[in-house]
Amino acid sequence: MVTLDVRPQLIDALSALRDRVAAARFPLPLAGAPRARANRDELLAQLDDYLVPRLREPEAPLLAVVGGSTGAGKSTLVNSLVGRRVSEAGVLRPTTRTPVLVCHPEDHHWFSGMRVLPDLTRVWVPQQDPGDELLLPGEDPARVLRVETTETLPRGLALLDAPDIDSLVADNRVLAAELICAADIWIMVTTAARYADAVPWHLLRTAKEYDVTLVTVLDRVPHQVVSEVSRQYGALLTKAGLGHVPRFTVPELPESAWGGGLLPASAVAPLRTWLVHQAQDPAARQHVMARTAYGVLDSLKARMPGLASAAAAQYAAALRLTSAVESAYDSEHARVRGRLQSGAVLAGDALKRWRAFPLDCSAGELLDALAESLAALLLCAVTAADERVDEAWRREPAAAAPSLRDRDPTTESAEHRIGLAVRRWRRELEEYAEDEVRNLDRSAAPDPDVVAALVATALLGGRRARSAGERLAERVGAHGALRLRDRGERLLADHLNRVMHSERERRLAPLDALDVHPEPQAELIAALSVLQKER
Amino acid sequence: MTAITDQDHDQGHTEPAEDGAAESVPEEAEASGGGSDEAVEPEEGEHARVDDDTAGADSGTGWDDGLIARRVNEAAGEQPVPAVESQASVPQTATTLAYDGALRSRLDALRELVGLSRTRLDSRTLAEAGRVLDEAAARRRLSGQHTVVALAGATGSGKSQLFNALAGVTISETGVRRPTTAAPIACSWSDGAASLIDRLGIPPRLRRRPAQHADAEGQLRGLVLVDLPDHDSAALQHREQVDRVLALVDAVIWVVDPEKYADAMLHERYLRPMAGHAEVMFVVLNQTDRLPGEATDQVLDDLRRLLDEDGIALGEYGEPGATVLALSALTGDGVGELREALGQFVAERGAAARRISADIDAAAWWLRPVYATSRRTGLSEEARDEFAARLADAVGATAAGEAAERAWLRNANRACGTPWLRLWRWCQDRHEPPTGRLPLRAQADEEATARQRVEQAVRTVAERASGGLPTPWAQAVREAAVRGSQGLSEALDELAARAGLPPGRPPRPGWWPAAVLVQASMTLLQVVGGLWLVGQIVGVMAPNLGVPVLLMVAGIIGGPLVEWSCRMAARGPARRYGMEAERRLREAAAGCGRARVLDPVAAELLRYREVREQYGRVTGVGV
Repeated sequence: MVTLDVRPQLIDALSALRDRVAAARFPLPLAGAPRARANRDELLAQLDDYLVPRLREPEAPLLAVVGGSTGAGKSTLVNSLVGRRVSEAGVLRPTTRTPVLVCHPEDHHWFSGMRVLPDLTRVWVPQQDPGDELLLPGEDPARVLRVETTETLPRGLALLDAPDIDSLVADNRVLAAELICAADIWIMVTTAARYADAVPWHLLRTAKEYDVTLVTVLDRVPHQVVSEVSRQYGALLTKAGLGHVPRFTVPELPESAWGGGLLPASAVAPLRTWLVHQAQDPAARQHVMARTAYGVLDSLKARMPGLASAAAAQYAAALRLTSAVESAYDSEHARVRGRLQSGAVLAGDALKRWRAFPLDCSAGELLDALAESLAALLLCAVTAADERVDEAWRREPAAAAPSLRDRDPTTESAEHRIGLAVRRWRRELEEYAEDEVRNLDRSAAPDPDVVAALVATALLGGRRARSAGERLAERVGAHGALRLRDRGERLLADHLNRVMHSERERRLAPLDALDVHPEPQAELIAALSVLQKER
Repeated sequence: MTAITDQDHDQGHTEPAEDGAAESVPEEAEASGGGSDEAVEPEEGEHARVDDDTAGADSGTGWDDGLIARRVNEAAGEQPVPAVESQASVPQTATTLAYDGALRSRLDALRELVGLSRTRLDSRTLAEAGRVLDEAAARRRLSGQHTVVALAGATGSGKSQLFNALAGVTISETGVRRPTTAAPIACSWSDGAASLIDRLGIPPRLRRRPAQHADAEGQLRGLVLVDLPDHDSAALQHREQVDRVLALVDAVIWVVDPEKYADAMLHERYLRPMAGHAEVMFVVLNQTDRLPGEATDQVLDDLRRLLDEDGIALGEYGEPGATVLALSALTGDGVGELREALGQFVAERGAAARRISADIDAAAWWLRPVYATSRRTGLSEEARDEFAARLADAVGATAAGEAAERAWLRNANRACGTPWLRLWRWCQDRHEPPTGRLPLRAQADEEATARQRVEQAVRTVAERASGGLPTPWAQAVREAAVRGSQGLSEALDELAARAGLPPGRPPRPGWWPAAVLVQASMTLLQVVGGLWLVGQIVGVMAPNLGVPVLLMVAGIIGGPLVEWSCRMAARGPARRYGMEAERRLREAAAGCGRARVLDPVAAELLRYREVREQYGRVTGVGV
């Protein structure tokens, strides 16, 4: 027989693991992400609601959660076990929307605090009318836990009436899963009409997987067919490998019909006796607790690597997205450099201006045209890079994340930013030209604007602006021209890099904001291995 | 545990269901009603074949789109029931189904739509529409006298019990064992429905006739009732059967019971996706005998509320929609009402057409994102103008115009300026390097067009044109623009060289020679005045200061005056000349861009508009 023996190191390791799990994020919409998110929430809920509090305080009462399909008679069963109406039963589906916890008055303190199920608000007043709940949707009835006390339950045992697992109300399903995860004893209720339904079987299989303490109740069986239905259900259970699970059959009695009163005590006596025995016999109690706790601990072995691999997949996807952006911008950067070399800026307007310079065109106009042309080249490169990124991201499911997709239309502002950078470049180039001219002999000093225009043409015009270089040399001397061109070239490369870099960063910013790192994977695995060492 | 929180119930493993149940049903059913099926006996071989086909299709994947398991029987759909053709030899009393004009035109429009979009959309997107077309065609070839109604519902809801109650005889096995019915069973109230049942893939051994009651016979004449297996048990193959048959029947009776009427499986997987089929849908609340008296209405109201939330129109107050009834198949309570409603429904003989119509609606809704758009689309006049302006920038039209204007003005000034000024300028020019003096177009530049601007212009115009279009069409528009822009820059290069100003001397206004003459005479006046003065000083001439000084002053003042007024006068023609140069380039560039980029883009947009119109016809609004 397994017994629960807990060392503080184990609890520490478990807390560390819990924090790692809580820190794991799956923001990119990959195929497995919704499932990973659900798994993470579930695991977190199970750690917070069940495992950590149970290991910290093994003496706390056993919690038996009654779960099952809508209309299976869970509330009626709980009421009958307790011996009075604590949970609303009725004919409308789903009936129970607010979970109800029933315990002995002296156990009340265990559940009134936030020891278990910390994210459910406790209420003590019974809900007046389920009809009111529907009218007040703002209150979010799903996140509330009603705590009831009754003398008829023995100490050390608490019953929880959970919402259904398969009705239309999605909140109910999520909450039910969370509650069932918090249980020491899972009581699965099904009916004569339901026992072959697919959804409850998923739950049973999960129970088997976690190796929890499980009881099944076959409820609402018309007494004529009790033995046949019971036999078939047993066969199904055996086939699923759950043959050893205690099975209780509750007949459908007129008393239970639809929201009526309680079942006679005799109908639920076997189940009640079993539950009381589990709660009061120390050995049985130890066994029940240890089995579920170790079952959940063991299940971590399979679940943590799942989370870790999902985290790794997130990081891999983020890496792919990033590299798509980087390669797009890098290749556009290279293309721009090539075009600058070949003098693509000196084309169109700028070329016409240059041909008319200086007779029919002023130096200022030539510089304007060159700056404009340069801005057009950069803008073209940036939008082309963006287009490439879009193209590459279209093939990535991860790029469908809302924060990545709903980019504000930045083309206009990119134009603005590039215009700003080009103007700054022009101003600096003009300053260089002024510096150079100031150094020259005062009397023969050429117009700095002309010098600036010539430098710009020589830098941007490639081969076809060779004469610009010659004329520059004539004006400021060969040394001056060389110096000026060197500085201008550095300046240009500088500004080009800065523009491309800042645009790339801007494109990557939403991705960076999602904060997808490689660490969570390793941390999750490490936390698991520490935990296993401590066991 | 994930299985519960997961909305998608069908991801689970397949289940430990007793496959034995599937086999046990037919035998017994056969025994109970075997003799009444003469009409279908002859084509035994055919049925076996149909059965095989569908069985093959069944093994495919389950539910994978928003509608009722369309894919499950895709294979069957592509090969519309081979049995039908051979039916011609079998004496058949039933006439085939005829669709009315509106539905036919919608079907035609859908067919056309699929044809038009084949090159733009992938076949997966169009598969659903294709299936609807195939099914509509297949159904049309079959009996219009019959209405195929399926009984569907959760396990244990009492489908078979209701089936038996309607037929008046125990046809389908009922029991406590879950799930009970493993294969669909058909029951036909009149002859001639064999080919219809063939289409459902129900073998002859599972075909029955109802009990022979004269009144019931008459009331439900033309009804073919199909009892389906459950859709929610752990037996996955049952669900596949249900999905397959549901796609083929004319109408559905959803049987729910007080215990299961709010199940997520029923609502999320079946009722919500089928909300458009409300008109061919009955929802009956069975097992009311298990409810205390007043609770029935309560549950029925709650069921109505849930159906309403699913988006299913309820057929109340004479409006078209689903019929909701409460009954008890066990006690027979309310079965008469259902029989009556069903009889009326079958007598109308409109179910098949309505079902097809609802299918088209669903297919159209499914295709909506690839056709419909909320914004006005098309290439606006501004976008076209902007494109032309960007191309003009790329070839440098503005700069070329300005340069031409200034050159003309410069030449005019030189021609009409005073000779002294020209002399001075000539002297100065001797010191200047002559680069700028080279005449325009002296050398042909390769790549005179700004490539980056052309690229950007094409990108912008494609962006504008595809704005608001559904993705595949936007992509097509962008591709058309990009394809058109290949070689555009080179064409513009060539064009800029050709479309520039005509070579030779620019045209001169008529006053030009006169102005030159006047300027010359001013100079002459100065010279004459000067010579006269010199002559007087030398003493050759009679001293007369007044006239020569006057002449000289007139010349000195008149020269610049003439120059100035010429400059003023030359402004207009210079501007015109520059504008002309600019206009030529601009128009040439715009024409080139229009032919290469805008026209293909506009053609693509036109194609989209055509498809959009066709889509409107399919949905029935755009007619």
